[in-house]
Amino acid sequence: MDQKYAIDLEHVTRIYKRDEFEVRALDDVTVQIPAGRFVAIMGPSGSGKTTMLNLIAGIDHATSGRVAVGGEQIGGMKERELAGWRARHIGLVFQFYNLIPVLTAFENVELPLLLTSLGKAERREHVETALRIVGLADRIDHYPRQLSGGQEQRVAIARAIVTDPTLIVADEPTGDLDAKSAEEILGLLVDLNRQFQKTIVMVTHDPRAERYVDTVYRLDKGVLAGVEPGKRGVTAEAAANA
Amino acid sequence: MKYTALVLKNLVRSKRRTILTVLSIAVSLFIFSALVSVPTVANQILGNTASGTRIATHNKAGLAYSIPIAYKQRIVTIPHVEVVVPESWFGGVYHEVSDQFPNLAVDPEQVDLMWPDWGISREQFAQFKKIRTACLVGGETMKRFHLHLGQQIQLRGTLYPFNVTLNIVGMVGGKAPPNFLIFRRDYLEEAAGRPGMVDLIWVKVDKPENVPQVIAAIDEGFANSSAETSSESEAVFIGSFMDQYRTFFTMAELLGLIVVLMIATVAANTAAMSIRERRGEIAVMRSIGFPARTILSILLAESLLIGLAGGILGCVSAYIVLKGLSLGNVAGPFSTIRMPPAILAETLVVAALIGLISAIVPARSAARRNIVDALRTVA
Repeated sequence: MDQKYAIDLEHVTRIYKRDEFEVRALDDVTVQIPAGRFVAIMGPSGSGKTTMLNLIAGIDHATSGRVAVGGEQIGGMKERELAGWRARHIGLVFQFYNLIPVLTAFENVELPLLLTSLGKAERREHVETALRIVGLADRIDHYPRQLSGGQEQRVAIARAIVTDPTLIVADEPTGDLDAKSAEEILGLLVDLNRQFQKTIVMVTHDPRAERYVDTVYRLDKGVLAGVEPGKRGVTAEAAANA
Repeated sequence: MKYTALVLKNLVRSKRRTILTVLSIAVSLFIFSALVSVPTVANQILGNTASGTRIATHNKAGLAYSIPIAYKQRIVTIPHVEVVVPESWFGGVYHEVSDQFPNLAVDPEQVDLMWPDWGISREQFAQFKKIRTACLVGGETMKRFHLHLGQQIQLRGTLYPFNVTLNIVGMVGGKAPPNFLIFRRDYLEEAAGRPGMVDLIWVKVDKPENVPQVIAAIDEGFANSSAETSSESEAVFIGSFMDQYRTFFTMAELLGLIVVLMIATVAANTAAMSIRERRGEIAVMRSIGFPARTILSILLAESLLIGLAGGILGCVSAYIVLKGLSLGNVAGPFSTIRMPPAILAETLVVAALIGLISAIVPARSAARRNIVDALRTVA
């Protein structure tokens, strides 16, 4: 595997068993994503987008093929190793934010840092920085129920970046947001990509996302159907006319 | 320590559920510790009061039948016998029928030698030997009836058709039952018209290993007489009183165990519900890198804390209630009941086990569940 790629999937197949049926969620997919890119995986429901994201994030295993992230083969790792690897290298953002309701924004963001050897003061510093980056420094003691959807997703993004991971994977990060909040979240992801050179892989249905990413990988029925450049920098009006 | 806040916050996630679970464990462990304390205290009393060299000799037909006082002279001559003290149960009441406490008459000469562990002072014992109407009273009875040294009291006979008037010359303490009153048997004998019979003869031998030999010698010596004797070591004698409660004790222990098992099942169900509701969160935590073992530890810590909180509450309540019963029944059946430290420790261990066992299955299942499947439940 070439280390110049942040993500390198080689002939990856993922088959799920559902009772007596076998579902081929991904079928012989080969994808290389260079480091520092902001890419979108798009496609209709059931096309294998989330499966691909889960494999990249190391929360699922390929049935066959090789998965390398940041130059590391993660297919052969045991669950405990994989957990440690995820804690060090991956920042996860979910569609429904998945914040812990009994924890404040600060505590939610601090959660991944509990797995590190950082002391309390260092953890506080990291958390405050992450919340400042996402623009929620003033919501530090708020509980998720006291935040709007967009703010909750920002907290989730802060949680994803607080450990300074090499890769951020986002599963439909705008799927539960109104248009304005969705644009803000996409803008935030772009900032993270540009300012901090984070590689971001985002699964989305949202056609607006194309305007924010470098590359769009299209999946259909578990097969890579196409790779297109994103429309980053292109205005919404121009994109519509194109 | 890093996860303490997380554990505590999860505990207050559903305050009502946590409080109810703690209370249900507390109630069950209150019942458990109170029930288990009774037989334990009884065994402790037996262990504390019984001496290895004392023998109780009574009528073979039972304690309701007496034996001739003349037996004393024959028992004294048996090898290894050092002290012999006859005793008669008076069974009097102080003022009301409810004012009962153990009171009995003994030959005064060798009381201090027979019961050196009763803490009778030399001066008080001298008074006891000197004054025919003297009596020695246990601390609890003194306290219960607000008695004092030098006070004259009258005990109404219930087994005998007369009253006795006694002068308190001292107190019995040490290993003596704290509610006892002893007075002189010569006074009782005279008032009763010198029947020449006693209920019991206490015998003290030189060494514990000679007890079986002396028991055999006493009982063989009075075999085929009009009042055959049955002799037993003090531990067996006191134990025979306890035996009538053995079934109750066993039932108490069994009930305690059933209550604990029942509540453990309820706690397991509550833990399962609580963990099931958080499957999505657990999946998220695992996806961000929390190892299954850490999540299992967090979930078990939560359950352990609930169990221990219930245990402490139950123990404290049981301790207070038993203490209250003990204070309120100075001479009653609860007079010596209190919670031994061993039961306190045992109950807390049971509480911890309830906490851990109730959560282990759902926690392991949740911590090891496939992340992708679990995430699907929150999607």
